[in-house]
Amino acid sequence: MVVVIVTMELAEALAGKKQAILSLWIERTLDSYAAPGFFKSAKDPFANPVGSNITAGLTALFDLLRTDADIQTFAKPLDQVVRIRSVQDFTPAQAVAPFLELKWVIKQVFSGDRELRPLLSQLDALDCAIDRMALAAFDIYAECREQLYRNRIRELKSGSAILTDAACPSALLRRESGMESGQRPNHERA
Amino acid sequence: MAVVKVDKLARSVAEGPSLMTGSIPTRNWMDVPAVFKPGNYAYPAKAEVIRYLDSQKGVSFPNAREWSPEDDDWKLPANWKEIILKGLADRLDRFRSLKIFMDCCVRCGACADKCHFFLGTGDPKNMPVLRAELLRSIYRQEFTRAGKILGRMAGGREMTAGVLKEWFMYAYQCTECRRCSVFCPYGIDTAEITMMLRELLHMVGVGINWAMEPVSNSNRTGNHMGLTPQAFKGNVEFLCDDIENLTGVRVNPTFNRKGAEVLFITPSADVFAEPGIFTCMGYLLLFEAIGLDYTWSTYASEGGNFGLFTSNEMMKKLNGKMYAEAKRLGVRWILGGECGHMWRVLHQYMDTMNGPADFLEVPRSPITGTVFDNAASTRMIHISEFTADLIKNNKIKLDKSRNAHVTATFHDSCNTSRAMGLLEEPRYILDHVVENWFEMPPNTIREQTFCCGSGTALNTDEIMELRMRSGLPRANAVRYVHDKHGVNTLGCVCAIDRATLTTLMNYWVPEVQVAGLSELVGNALVIDGEQRQDLTEGLRTLV
Repeated sequence: MVVVIVTMELAEALAGKKQAILSLWIERTLDSYAAPGFFKSAKDPFANPVGSNITAGLTALFDLLRTDADIQTFAKPLDQVVRIRSVQDFTPAQAVAPFLELKWVIKQVFSGDRELRPLLSQLDALDCAIDRMALAAFDIYAECREQLYRNRIRELKSGSAILTDAACPSALLRRESGMESGQRPNHERA
Repeated sequence: MAVVKVDKLARSVAEGPSLMTGSIPTRNWMDVPAVFKPGNYAYPAKAEVIRYLDSQKGVSFPNAREWSPEDDDWKLPANWKEIILKGLADRLDRFRSLKIFMDCCVRCGACADKCHFFLGTGDPKNMPVLRAELLRSIYRQEFTRAGKILGRMAGGREMTAGVLKEWFMYAYQCTECRRCSVFCPYGIDTAEITMMLRELLHMVGVGINWAMEPVSNSNRTGNHMGLTPQAFKGNVEFLCDDIENLTGVRVNPTFNRKGAEVLFITPSADVFAEPGIFTCMGYLLLFEAIGLDYTWSTYASEGGNFGLFTSNEMMKKLNGKMYAEAKRLGVRWILGGECGHMWRVLHQYMDTMNGPADFLEVPRSPITGTVFDNAASTRMIHISEFTADLIKNNKIKLDKSRNAHVTATFHDSCNTSRAMGLLEEPRYILDHVVENWFEMPPNTIREQTFCCGSGTALNTDEIMELRMRSGLPRANAVRYVHDKHGVNTLGCVCAIDRATLTTLMNYWVPEVQVAGLSELVGNALVIDGEQRQDLTEGLRTLV
């Protein structure tokens, strides 16, 4: 049996309130940064990569949700948002919290409109779809973190570590010749 | 249907049961302390490294000790505050630019949104204006009449251990890339403020190991890696073997040869680490193709100079080896490889610090006869200038189809673009060695280029997250040209870029590899008598 997540009535309401829901959702998400003014206002995607990628990602996700799209299609816009938040100063929960926050945002917008209030009781299936989206986001978060650590290992193995962990020839000489610490071979003083 | 007012809803949010409460600070920036936790700071310098450096002539690195940024007590010397204020007074006296930068900022905010650290973190203390304010507030309090009388009302504040910790946090969240100063109407060079902060911190024994150990190694053996002359020579010879396997051309470079016409100096990463070694193979092939009379030095075996990220005196001392070796070997001029910050030191400071190089001649290409008057004073030119001149004069044969696997874009390194104006030559070279290359958007290239996010000795793995977020603006532009044009190669002329952009791409745009320009030249170069195998990935091909 196919479960209809978004009824026709709900779909219409989500489409009608798209701008309100998105504005609030994006605003709430960007408020998780200490100085979000620029992230919210700058439109150039290259001058403002955090603001523009999060805005684009959340917009795409909302459209996928309200059109009952296949969960697979969520991966790209989720990645667009999560890859950024995975390397910022957030706990894992804070990094993916915005996705769950959408439930609250939709309820907030619907509650503010007398005509839409009756729909508040029909949101269970949509809430569940949002939960699934958040879980998929957590998978991507974990993947990003693993990649971060793989990159650390790759750098260590690539030899850059020699930069700081190379054996010091003078120190080796000193140790071999049994010199006391503090005494240095002549060439080291030069 | 009622119109929803976002502002009104946003206000009600804080009262409702929500998962997110926002992070906008409710306190004045002066009252928000720096919090150190794993991943947001680079490891402190080892005490033994600092002790060794402090024992060296001409530089001072006192107060060596074991300490941790995560501890409350940084074991600062008892009179640390006096040391810092005296150090600041001394620098205000010595560097007129610093005094001007402290006084002339009008807080217009033009720089605020130009820093890749701010763009990646959203942390207001990463706005260059506020990062400078961390120092400026102390300057006001201690060195201006208004600040002395009015204190905080005049933007001043007491120098406390908390302020010092904040300095350490943010002086190492700046790569001295100088993008912000391009936009400053007063021309304030925020990089110089970071340099001063780092110098002051060194006076109380606060520095990072990824800067100080390479500095120590360079002081001892000439290069960051601490490679002995034998190891350095051996590594270059390994690359010559690889070149012979790939192209059938035997290259026989010389080392420390007196009387050579040209001394060649490049970052040591080029001779030992991927993908720099492919760039190095490009240099070796190019010099072979044109029969250049040149030599390597096993002591001036490092183009990079982490002294630039440490202190004026250290930078001068490490830079000294270039002219010293040029003089000892009796060469006519110096050719420099692909490096970023190396060129800031050479172009802006070397002549003043260690010149005049009156024992050298103004560089003149022996192949084309071109005299490089732009280097009339330093007597040292960049490999891209040299190569572009060879191409312009038709002195080398290039086959673009050998780079058929490459669709490129070009990343201007912060230092070569903003500190020496090397903008056209790399592009001219790309035009002639690859069939397809595409520019990234205009506000992310040339003078406005975005930093790799890992410069100034921040290319260490313990701050990987920090590097990834500060590199986002760069990666975001690469992602765009990858999606739009199928770009698969990020060309650059900097050794730190070659290492760190590789990691950055791996995280953000894994479809894109990083290559030095000279590697792409080496791929395309046609050499008489060669027996080149079918190199589907150029000099990277495994045969």
